[in-house]
This record gives sequence, C-alpha cells and structure tokens, in this order.
Amino acid sequence: MSSAQFVQYLIAGITSGSVYALVGLGFTIIYAVSKIINFAQGEFVMLGGLLSFTLIHSAGLPLIPALILSVIVAAAIGAAMYLLAIRPAKKASVVSLIIITIGAATFIRGMAGQELTKAFVRSPSFSGEQSISFLGAHIDPQALWIIGAMVLVTIIVHLFLTYTMVGKALKACAINPVASSLVGINPKTMALIAFVLASALGGIGGIVLAPLTPMSYQSGVMLGLKGFVAAAIGGFASPIAAVFGGLLLGIVENFAVAANWGPFTSSYKDAIALVVLLLILLVRSGKLAEEERAG
Amino acid sequence: MTKSIILETRGLSKTFGGLVAVNKVDLTLEAGKITAIIGPNGAGKTTLFNLITGVYPVSSGEIFFQGALLNNVPAYKRASLGIVRTYQHIHLFGNMTVLENVMSGRHPRSSYGFFEAAFRLPKARREEEAISLNAIKYLNLVGLGTYAEHDAMSLPLGQQKLLAIARALATEPRLILLDEPGAGLNTLEKRQLSDLMRSIREMGISVVLVEHDMPLVMGIAEWVIVLDSGHKIAEGTPVQIQKNERVIAAYLGEEVE
Amino acid sequence: MLASLKRNWSYLAITGVIAFFMLIPFDWFLGQYTTLMIFIGIYTIVTVGLCLLMGYTGQVSLGQAAFFGMGAYISAILSKTYGVNPWLAMLIAAIMTGAFAYIIGYPIFRLKGNYLAMATLGLGLIMWILFTELSQFTGGPDGMSGIPSLSIGGFVFDSSFRCYFLVWLFCLVVLLISQNIVRSRTGRALRAIHGSEAASESIGINVNQFKVKILTLSAVYASLAGSLFVHYLRFVSPQPFDFLASVKLVVMAVIGGLASVWGAIFGAGATRVLSDELLLRFGQWDIVVYGLILVLVMIFMPEGLFVKLKELYERFRFRYRRREAQP
Repeated sequence: MSSAQFVQYLIAGITSGSVYALVGLGFTIIYAVSKIINFAQGEFVMLGGLLSFTLIHSAGLPLIPALILSVIVAAAIGAAMYLLAIRPAKKASVVSLIIITIGAATFIRGMAGQELTKAFVRSPSFSGEQSISFLGAHIDPQALWIIGAMVLVTIIVHLFLTYTMVGKALKACAINPVASSLVGINPKTMALIAFVLASALGGIGGIVLAPLTPMSYQSGVMLGLKGFVAAAIGGFASPIAAVFGGLLLGIVENFAVAANWGPFTSSYKDAIALVVLLLILLVRSGKLAEEERAG
Repeated sequence: MTKSIILETRGLSKTFGGLVAVNKVDLTLEAGKITAIIGPNGAGKTTLFNLITGVYPVSSGEIFFQGALLNNVPAYKRASLGIVRTYQHIHLFGNMTVLENVMSGRHPRSSYGFFEAAFRLPKARREEEAISLNAIKYLNLVGLGTYAEHDAMSLPLGQQKLLAIARALATEPRLILLDEPGAGLNTLEKRQLSDLMRSIREMGISVVLVEHDMPLVMGIAEWVIVLDSGHKIAEGTPVQIQKNERVIAAYLGEEVE
Repeated sequence: MLASLKRNWSYLAITGVIAFFMLIPFDWFLGQYTTLMIFIGIYTIVTVGLCLLMGYTGQVSLGQAAFFGMGAYISAILSKTYGVNPWLAMLIAAIMTGAFAYIIGYPIFRLKGNYLAMATLGLGLIMWILFTELSQFTGGPDGMSGIPSLSIGGFVFDSSFRCYFLVWLFCLVVLLISQNIVRSRTGRALRAIHGSEAASESIGINVNQFKVKILTLSAVYASLAGSLFVHYLRFVSPQPFDFLASVKLVVMAVIGGLASVWGAIFGAGATRVLSDELLLRFGQWDIVVYGLILVLVMIFMPEGLFVKLKELYERFRFRYRRREAQP
C-alpha cells in the first residue's frame, strides 16, 4: 500500500467514523441518563439524511435553512418518541423497553419510506464536487464537512455538559438519579433532554453524510448498529470515549476492506463492523454484565 | 463422641478492587445447630453467604462442606450437594404460582429433561407427580398450603419470606442459609419464623442466619459469630456474646451515629 | 356428572376446531386462503420458539430470522445443488442450525438484556449478509429456484392443498411438544430463570445451560419452518430473512403473548393477515403498523394481546357462571 493510498483509506475511515461517533455519542448520552439503549438511534441519521434531501429537492429550500430545519424536525421526533413511547411505559422491564424502541424505530422507518422517499437519495454537496488533493490522496470536500461537523459537535456537547446548568444536571442525573432528584433535578426531564440531544446528533450525522453516501429509509439499522459499536468500544463510559470508538471503527472497517483478502471483498464491509460488535461484546461481557446488574 | 462439622472455612477472604469485604475468616459450623452471624452494616455477612453459595468466586482461602473442598464447585451444583440459601430481597419467581415456586425447588431432586418433557414420557409423569406431592408437603410445613394456586407476588411480605424458605427446603438441603429472614416482619410473624427455624433444625438441617434483630437472634441461636469490617471478632453462645467487650464496642460504634 | 358433561364439551370443541382446520383448504370452504394458512402455520412454528426463548425464559432475540434462513438455505442448497433427499436435507438443516445455535449460545449468553439484544441483532445481520454475498452457493440477492418438493413414496407435496396438511401437522406437533415442555420441570426452570437468575442458581438450576438449550430448540423450530418454507415455495431469496423479518417475528410473539404457546398461532395469523391481506392494498404501511403494535402492546398490555383477550374472556365467563350459580 502506497502512502497516498494509506492516507486515502485513513481519511475515508475517519469520515465514516465521524458519523458513527455522532451516533455513538447519542447512545452514550441516553444510556447514561436513562439506562435505556435506544434501538431507534440509527433511524435519526436516516431521518437527517432523507429530511434534508426532501427539503432541498421537494420543498426547494436553500441549503442552510433546510439543514437547520432537518435537525429541528429530527430532534422533535426524538422528543415525541420519548414522550409518547418511552415515558408512558412506566416500570417496563429491559425486554419491554428494547421492544418499544425497536417498535419506534420500525415506525419511524416505515413513515420515512411512506412520506419521504423509497429510493436511494443523495443530497447535493455543501461545497461542490471538486475533490481536494492532500498528501497524494483525493478527498471529497464533503468528507471535510463531516469530520468538521463531528469535531465541532463534540466540542459543543462537551462544553454543554461541563459548563451549562442543564448539562451539569444531565451529568448529575447520570451519576446518581436518586440524589439528583432530591436536589430538584427531574430525571424524566433529563431523559427528555437526552433523547432530544441524541436525536439532534443523529440528525446532524445524517445531513452531513447524505451528500457523500446515498441513503434510503432502510439505512438506519446498520448506522445505528455501528454507532452502538462506537459506544460499546467506549464502554458507554463517556461521550469522548464513544467518539474515539466511532473513529476507531471507521478506520478498522476501511482498512479491512482495503486489505481485500480472499473472498472478503468490499461487500463484506458491514460484516466487519458486526464482527467487531460481537468481539467487543464478548470481550467486555463480564464488565457489561456487572453494569447491567447495577443499572 | 466427636461433633460433626457441616461447614468449615479457612482463611476465607474476598476483595473487591481494593476493598476487603471478608478478611481471613475461619469458621467451623457444627451440624444440626442454629448459628447466627451478626455484625454492623458492611461487616461482610452477606458477602460471606455469597462466597459459601458460590455467587462470588473466593479471593483466597478455602471452604469445606462436609469435609469436601467447595471452592471450585459452580453455584448451581451446590444446591444438589445440600447447600441452599434465601435472599434478603426474597427473589421469588413472580411469574409463577405459590405452588410452582416450591415445585421449582425440587429441581435438584428430579432429573427428567427436555426430551422426556417434550413427549411426556413415563419418567416425566412419574417425577412430576412426586414433585407436586413433595412441594405440597413443604408448602404445608410453612403453613401456606391454602395459598397454593395464588400468584406468588400477591402474598404479603411475611408470607413471601415463608414461601422463599419453603422453596429452599424443597431442595432437601443439609445446610440452609437465611439472609435477614426477620427483616420487615411484625412480632407475630417473627415468632412464627422462630418456630419454623426450630422445626427446620429438628429435621436435621443446619441453619445459619444473618440477622440484625438481636432479640430474635439471642432467642433462637445456639451459636453466634460476630463479624466486623470483614474480620471475625468473636464467637460463642448468645450469653457469652452479650458480655463480650469487643462486640459491644463494635456495635456502640455503629449505634452512636 | 357435570364434570363429565364439561369434559365432553371440551372434547367436542377440540374436535370442532380440528375439523374446521381440516376443511379450510377445500375450495368449497375457505380454499382461497390455503396459501395464507400455510404461511401462518410456518410462521407459527418460528414464533413458538421465540415465545419459549423470549416469553418464558426472558432472553431477547432480534435475530431469529437468521435461524429461519439457515434452515431454508441449507435445505435448498442440499436438495437442489447436491441432490440430497429433501427430508434428509431438512433433517441435516435442523441439526446444523441447532448445532450452530448451541455453539454460539455459550458465548452469547454471557450477555444479558440490551447487550444480548444487540448481539443477536448483529448475528442476524451477519447471516443475512452471508445469504446475500455467498452467491456461488445461495444465488445471491436473486435467490435460487427449482428447489424440489417434499414427497413420500410417489406422493409429492407439490400443491398448496397437500402442503397445507403437512405444514399444519408439523405445527401441531411443535405446539404440543412446546406445551409439554412449558408444563414440565424444564418449563419451570425456564420461567424461574426469567423470574430471578440468582434464585434459580441457588436452587440448583444451571442457568446458562438452560438458556443455551432453549435457544437451540428455538433454532431447530425455526430451521424446520425454513425448510418447509422453501420446499413449499420451491424458491428462496434473502429478503424473508432480513432484519425486518426478525422484527416481524417479535411482533408475532408480542401479539400472541410472549408467554403463551397457543397464542403464537394468533400472533402469526394476525400479522400475516395484516401483511398479506389488509395492508398490501394500501401500499406498504405494514411496517408502520408493526412499529405501532410493538409500542402500544408493550405499553398497555405487556403480557400480549392474545393473553389479554383470554383474560377478559375468562373474567366474563367467571361472572357469568357466578350469576348462574345464584338461585
């Protein structure tokens, strides 16, 4: 592998990894606050992508308003999901909550297929199609938008969690829900905020990804799963860990495809993430089981 | 006549990370007695139970049950050897009736499996009959016979605790470990509990209880072991323990709070 | 006297139900629904396995369609490509799928709850990718056709009419076996695991082993259903085994009542009728409806629609009987 190729694959890995990171961030935030794994997390990436496409193409909105509106709608759907599906299920078992979020995911997916589009769609690039040369590699400018968005969002989330009252309340609730409710933090409100935040993050991932990779209403499952892998690599411990998990997965996935050994061609790209998923889960199973018991 | 030993631990320790929950504890439990383990909160009593029943692996030291080393026996196999326990948080099977809970306790004393069950072979039918007869027997022993068909969780707390004991007894143990059986019970229920523990001992089963209720302990236990911060600080008859200065100091330390 | 009368009544009712099912595929009765009923029978077999695993034992599987697909593809490949007798192919498929479930069972059941769900989802997707990508064996996304039918001597199960009886015979056997298991020592152990793993271990139940065994049984059921599926359709493609298929199986189990064996027929029936008969005419709204069903049933009647209906019926009957008993 030449150094130009190496750079090419590395950047491709960081790019897709950035999207996984955004999804993983969402998983981590919701899990920390509510101990729920939101199986619908990937659907918000799909929503971000399809919404921005639809708003630009069908509604004819200019780029910036279309993107902002897409994120707002994705966040609103996240809020609706929490208020209509999660909150009414008081004292539901883990199994029930899994089925509920799967149900919500299926619902969102079906609605997107019916109301937005059934086809694979690709939004227009933010800043032209002309590729940029970098250390001998050709980079799609959209890749830079994706990486940039991820870095910016990660910094904002970090600042939000560290310096704002709401962010601190979220953190407190994640560490000890009982104690925080005693000092007047409502865990339900915090869970709502976590769902809104996570859906917005997913939506952002979707709108920056849509110009690079064609998406359909069925794209959510795999993206959600990879975001979960990102969060699992980070051990659901901290948002930053999830971001690094996402980047790591993206890079591994792209180099594994690049290695191209035996019959395992690029069509097995998704399978690589799945194998990583199983390995991570099994390696960490002891620790995860303890968390589950404590949670 | 030499006394027979049901359970023995030598230098038994358990650490969680840096925390030493049980520290080099040596125990010798005589068969056929009611032994109480007492101590302030965080003394390591429940951890000790978890080590004896195999919930946690031992960090160091040995556990012998009827003379045989127990350390590497998986938790589920200890029931068929004759060790059974109840939990502080009861852990009934909420998706079953009262009777079915006790029938589950017959698991280690029956053997038919998937295949015999699937085709209701004679072995399955024969064992199933024995299982329900035995279960009813143990249910009557704790006085819950009339509630056989009720949902387990519909019982009040006191009866749930009795049901958990019936389920444990159904495994035909040699040694039963009761984790805070008296917690949450009223005076009448506690008296019934004491009577039940005595009849369990009369059946030749050794009883060990972890308990905070001192009148209950002193009224029923024949031997008392005191733990504090993971160490065994004293053991003896209830009368000896009540006079022991280290024990009084350990408890005063707690009660000042 | 009254008891014997009552027993006679229930025998009569069972005979009636069996007769009804026997007559369905005749053209002068409900013949136009034969194909639908065959699918219901096949999906019931898969759903029963999922109910044993999820409802009774409390272990989530979001990848059950993978076992269904393994049965289908192994049966198809052996009988078509290698000319193995379809019955033997079906048996080998069941053994291989069961062995696969048994082998992955031990590592995968080190996980619980959310992580188990995610792992089964991942496994299901991996199998689906293999069905699609191993095109030299599976025919890829286009699938493979010309799979031989099952036959006994010269009697070939090559029509819907004939397959109907075969499928429902399998279905009945699977339901009876499952009911026997549920009402046995094994069934109690499974429910005990659902109730409290700690307490189960303390009374001598080998929790992991029971989980693995029930996963294996559910995989064998799914595999048998998959084999029946391909030998009936004589065609196989990856589409019926994708992630959505696994979700649909969960829908069937949830509608039928997770902890209910006979509810599986109801769950599979309602879902297939919804997909094949009602919603197809209004475009593919079925996914939306499935999502809605999962959420609503889990919020308002987590024990399942069928179980809830049964409960209401029994309460009604109880009240009725009491009124009758009063002078």
